[in-house]
Amino acid sequence: MMHLLRKELSELINKQMLIGLSVSFVLIIVLGVLMTSTITGEWTESGTVHIIDNDRTAFTQSISDDLSERGYTVETAEDFETAVREKGWKDAVLLPEGMTETLLERHEACQLATYTALHSTATTAMLSSGGSASIVTSAIEDLLSEEYLQGELAFLSDPVELTPYTYANGVTVQEDSTAIIQSLALFDQLMPLALFLLVVLTAQTIITAIATEKTDKTLETLLSAPVPRSSVIGAKMAAALIVALIYAVTYALGFLTAMLLTVSGRVDAGNSGIGAAFTGLVNIRNATEQLGLQIPAYGWLGVLAQLALTLGIALTASIILGGLVEDAKSAQTASMPVMLLTMFPYILSMVSDIRSMEGGAKWLLYLIPFTHTFTATGNLRFHDSITFWGGLLYQAVFLTGMTFAALKMYSSDILFVHGIKKKADTEKQ
Amino acid sequence: MADALEIQSISKSYGKKQAVREVSFSVKEGEIFGLMGMNGAGKTTLLRMLATLLRPDSGDALIAGHSIVKAPEQVRTCISYLPDEAGAYRSMTGKHYLQFIAGLYFKEEQAQKACVQRGEDICGLGDTLNRKISTYSRGMTRKLVLARAVMTQPKLAILDEPTSGLDVLNSLDIRNAILRCAKEYGTAFLLSSHHMQEIHTTADRAAIMKDGVVLTSGTPEELLARYSASTLEEVFERAVRA
Repeated sequence: MMHLLRKELSELINKQMLIGLSVSFVLIIVLGVLMTSTITGEWTESGTVHIIDNDRTAFTQSISDDLSERGYTVETAEDFETAVREKGWKDAVLLPEGMTETLLERHEACQLATYTALHSTATTAMLSSGGSASIVTSAIEDLLSEEYLQGELAFLSDPVELTPYTYANGVTVQEDSTAIIQSLALFDQLMPLALFLLVVLTAQTIITAIATEKTDKTLETLLSAPVPRSSVIGAKMAAALIVALIYAVTYALGFLTAMLLTVSGRVDAGNSGIGAAFTGLVNIRNATEQLGLQIPAYGWLGVLAQLALTLGIALTASIILGGLVEDAKSAQTASMPVMLLTMFPYILSMVSDIRSMEGGAKWLLYLIPFTHTFTATGNLRFHDSITFWGGLLYQAVFLTGMTFAALKMYSSDILFVHGIKKKADTEKQ
Repeated sequence: MADALEIQSISKSYGKKQAVREVSFSVKEGEIFGLMGMNGAGKTTLLRMLATLLRPDSGDALIAGHSIVKAPEQVRTCISYLPDEAGAYRSMTGKHYLQFIAGLYFKEEQAQKACVQRGEDICGLGDTLNRKISTYSRGMTRKLVLARAVMTQPKLAILDEPTSGLDVLNSLDIRNAILRCAKEYGTAFLLSSHHMQEIHTTADRAAIMKDGVVLTSGTPEELLARYSASTLEEVFERAVRA
């Protein structure tokens, strides 16, 4: 038994596997550190409450004091849009003029405006949404019940009504930011998922196909036939792309169906009915248009170009890796670099806003050509044209270089000499 | 007869190991040239250079007048290469495989059909050609890939150990197919083999390689006389151990 186990392990644990494992280990640590720091940053930020006090009374001051006593950092400003631009605020609560009079003298509920500034549609954007509003509302309710209006119990149950506002691209509209993010996320999260699957499946398909051709020596037959090398490579790339597209479309359709079923379930469960839900969707659509979050037609063309370039890069990288693989067994390990370099920006772009990252991490991510496609819709929605078009240009240059390298490789000895050279060196030793 | 192949002092190294050293010989149209040598003698490297898969470090070879260094695209139109232990696409049927290969060499449908017909005749697999290659025995696969190598009527067919691992009857079928194609199509054959008997009965001339160098060459009778031997095995042993 042990004898057989040793043999099986020696087959599975080889130099290529260990290199792949080491690279994965390092990448997972870097990914983990980046994700943790991003999410921790959002939570640290959530310990700060932003208030725009237009009432300026002893009562509104007591709200700030109460929050400070509870351990929150209270920041104030005159105007939300200016605070977003100058102080980087992500949310705020506006205490309107006459609020104290409405609450303490007229004993009526008051309207509070809550503001959220959108910078991305990533998951962490929802973390900062409405944080200050719930904290301030809770503070107001506590103050009213404990110090100001102990006897007015019926009124105390609902003393504050919130009106959500969303700010993006220099415009503010009356709409809930979470609803806006959710409406955009349907595409902004579906497209990266489809792309991720497409790249990984394509890489594995093409590397395995080349490895099998090398093992069966059918590649030697093909390359000694009167067919241009570019046709051999091109046909492999196109075939892998078609197969991967079939997979990606199937997966994406499944994902979309699941999401639609979830949404229709919510509509059915609600009291407002389908008509009201539809009106709500139209309102959100109008809000995204006013905020400039809809992508124009030329932008979609750019996104399509980035998708095509990303697939091209993944395909040529796989062609090169496949050429270096000695047998079908090593194909799985060989696809690891492409998989990790896709997974890395995919997960990060889902959970955080790569554009707002600081230091070398952002530029390190931008060096990975796939990152630009995962952040493409975000860049366009938040009017970061330089990053979007610069990324597209970078991908085009990267693909040109990779194609040149692939053609060079398949026109040279490397394909057949790679393994032999290693053997010859071993024999020499 | 004109030369189908003329090798001019060709060399190739892998790192510090010199696999082929200044090898020169020629093969005439319709001639069968056998290449013998131990494992690692440089036979496969030489054949791969002629098949334009590897680029020589120095020297050249002319195939039907085309240089493998300067005009590899032209060379590929007049050669076919059968690697050692070569397989075929297992998901295809034998007939589909022959059609696929014919499509690589000929654009016109008529020429493709004629090519496939030749392939069917050469391999002699009959109705088995309609079955998937994954169901073929080793001997059947070998006959199929030999057929695809010669059905295009190349000026030079480069065969690396075409009967390796086959039983006696399958080996005989392959040898007969080679002899028939050399005679009928005027195809020149350069084939490597470890079977001395095969070389003796098939090849018009042969060479023995060791450490990347051609030790000796000639017709089987010339080699027997040169080494005062009764079989090519004896010739091989004496040449290699000398």
